[in-house]
Amino acid sequence: MNHETVSRRVAVSGVGAVSGLGWGVAPLWEGLRAGRTAIRPIQRFDHTAHRTHLAAEAAGPEDAGLAADPRWERLSLADRFAVAAAAEALAMAGLAPPLASLDDLWAGVWFGSSTGGMFESERFFNEFLHGRWRSARLRDLATQQVNVPGDAVARWFGVTGPVRTVSSACSSGALALGAALDAVRSGEVDVALAGGSDSLCQLTYAGFNALRSVDEGPCRPFRACREGMSFGEGAAVLVLEPLERVQERGGEPLAVLAGAGSACDAHHMTAPDPSGAGAAAAMEAALRDAGLSAAQIDFVNAHGTGTPLNDAAEWRALQRVFGERAGEIPLTATKALLGHLLGSSGAIEAVTTVLCLRHGELHPVPACAGGPAVDPELPVALVLDRPLPLPDARAAISTSLAFGGSNAALVFSRWMGT
Amino acid sequence: MIPSSLSPTLSPVPGEREILITGLGTIGAYGSGAESLRGVLVSPEPPWAGLSEVSRSSGYHLTQAARKAFLVDASLLKEWISPGEARRMSPPSKLAVAAARMALRCAGWSEGLPDERTGVVVSTAFGPSSYSEGLLKQILLEGPESASPTLFTESVANAAAAQIAIASRARGPSVTICQREAGALLAVGQAAADVASGRVPRAIAGTVDEMTPLLHSLLDRFGTVSRNGGPQGLEVARPLDRRRAGYLAAEGATMLLLESAGEARERGAVPLARVAAWGSAFDPTAPAVGWGTGYAGLARALRRSLERAGISLERIDRIVTGASGSRPGDRVEALMLKAAWGDIVVLPPVLAPKAVTGEYGGGFLGAAVLAANGVSFGPTAGFEEPDPELGIVPHDGSPLAPPSAVLVTSTAAGGAVSWVVLEAP
Repeated sequence: MNHETVSRRVAVSGVGAVSGLGWGVAPLWEGLRAGRTAIRPIQRFDHTAHRTHLAAEAAGPEDAGLAADPRWERLSLADRFAVAAAAEALAMAGLAPPLASLDDLWAGVWFGSSTGGMFESERFFNEFLHGRWRSARLRDLATQQVNVPGDAVARWFGVTGPVRTVSSACSSGALALGAALDAVRSGEVDVALAGGSDSLCQLTYAGFNALRSVDEGPCRPFRACREGMSFGEGAAVLVLEPLERVQERGGEPLAVLAGAGSACDAHHMTAPDPSGAGAAAAMEAALRDAGLSAAQIDFVNAHGTGTPLNDAAEWRALQRVFGERAGEIPLTATKALLGHLLGSSGAIEAVTTVLCLRHGELHPVPACAGGPAVDPELPVALVLDRPLPLPDARAAISTSLAFGGSNAALVFSRWMGT
Repeated sequence: MIPSSLSPTLSPVPGEREILITGLGTIGAYGSGAESLRGVLVSPEPPWAGLSEVSRSSGYHLTQAARKAFLVDASLLKEWISPGEARRMSPPSKLAVAAARMALRCAGWSEGLPDERTGVVVSTAFGPSSYSEGLLKQILLEGPESASPTLFTESVANAAAAQIAIASRARGPSVTICQREAGALLAVGQAAADVASGRVPRAIAGTVDEMTPLLHSLLDRFGTVSRNGGPQGLEVARPLDRRRAGYLAAEGATMLLLESAGEARERGAVPLARVAAWGSAFDPTAPAVGWGTGYAGLARALRRSLERAGISLERIDRIVTGASGSRPGDRVEALMLKAAWGDIVVLPPVLAPKAVTGEYGGGFLGAAVLAANGVSFGPTAGFEEPDPELGIVPHDGSPLAPPSAVLVTSTAAGGAVSWVVLEAP
């Protein structure tokens, strides 16, 4: 966004998450701090015929209160993740639904998703495409569209303002957050529920395996031995509000969403521009939007999929943006623990970035046995094995790089009381 | 969506913040190019001859299912996509790139854009359906290891936006919006916001969808498409009619080039319309696959949005409605408009172009731009009996003065509603 248009500082007043580490932010943070990977053998579907067999499936019990609601039964997994994350984020923000847009409150939903309710739809298509039309239930198809998780959040919490779903592959969540930032800044809404949700499904699992871009073991971003990504699933929601609105009700912001930027490689459908120019352009746009220089960024939450080409392109982008600091600035790669949440990865990594700023430490990723800690050709300062204390960290950047060259970046700053 | 009056930099003031539509590219059952679309919009004859039989060879359709849809003649693409490009593209990507190239040519950029600062915002309701179907068949019928990387690569919703960016060397933000029938106007709004904020000087924005036999059969099973309720058993859409029983499904693409007025005027571009405001809202009474009853709240949101943009209802002298013939969809859209206008102001003439363009594929978006540009539409195809509950009689084909401000609305299954206001250039 052009600086001239910035009219309001935007606070993150609540966060919610569902991930392979559990339902909720508390198990997420606990697992991240411990560097504990959630990537395990798949339980959701029969994976024996797939080339690989691991994913970070959402773990732990659902929220009993939400599950008791009769509407819960009709939701897809992705919808449930989304609603649970939104409920947690709203509660943390101290906002009670319904959020019907009234004169004094105008709320909207900005969401990212890549597959929506495809997992449930695969049940339908499995019957339908086998010619078992009578046993193919249209109800399984009702939640297939990628807009459904965001719509489900709006419906559940009575939102009557703008509702929009971005489906730009792996940058969807970050792009949705950027659009929500614009909306809160400009006064379009007073409250934005922004995030993303995706559940594991065979379509994407087999699809990425067809590209041979899935690691047979847990993914190893930026390591020389990296062989691809790991899948995850889940949702993350951030409540965004004007800073003064949070302060007026006596709340304390978790962080400030200071800037967002995006840019396209215009290079190739799947391969990133190896020069990293597009990713760098997105990061630079986010920094401009935040009014910060690269020197003011204290750590990076990298997209870090663990695929050879993506990590290499991201390193080039970091070099373009940070120059000689590229190899020194502390960096983490959340996907090593949660897998790749596709359309919601940008959202959950935004939550992770907020938590790291809030707690003043950067979560680690597990070190690999043998070989160098990181690829010598991509010498990032990856945080390994134990959290890195960063009590003075003031600002961080989170990156998302997607299929089709759609790159996005978000800049968060720590809430310092002013 | 736009609080223009709250945010001065988003106001449609003269200069670089003013947003003009300088290019329109469209492809559908009506042919390729704005003139083809104009032809069906102004025609006094209904467009039903342009309907194609949807293949039933896969056996997806019920016996009594709808049979026809507005399908694109694939040979039209040859002018716009080379064989070498086409082999790497899904049907929606081809449609979208063709429409984008038409839009750029229309805008006077046929030799290419002057720089890479171009955004791309594309909406799609269903994405690359044929590639997703092919991939699912491979995975579910033959096993996951038979999944084709080519099918997977082009099965993602943002494939069309990415291909437009690659074809145009557009390196600004690339965003794909999926919000069913509300997506096209949301895409225009997002692109306008990007240009208005100065993030990019121009953006390609529009919508694309393909209509496959599987998708058509499923829409029929959900009861949304028109079956044989017309004369001689014809399948017809009857937007806003008492007897409406569904829409005619369509495929195609429409892309617009939005530019800052500063750039457009400097290079002598001829504007087609001005984007004056945009907005959206949500009806939480809507089920995931249908329309709700919350028209009163939507009307409040619409009025609020227009007020914030400094546009009075009296200034709106034409409405292009997304009414398609859907029984519940037309109801909520019509009642929203009626409630927004209330009893004080008379509703301006209402155009319902989906009667001739069908639902999906962007004909509606192209029609809205042409309406703002002063094209005089023919009578609303299929409309015969007013629905007393809705109380809106769409345009009967009589001559209308060119409009100055056109409100374009679209309500989506699932609850989202979007609108834009286009002004005559």
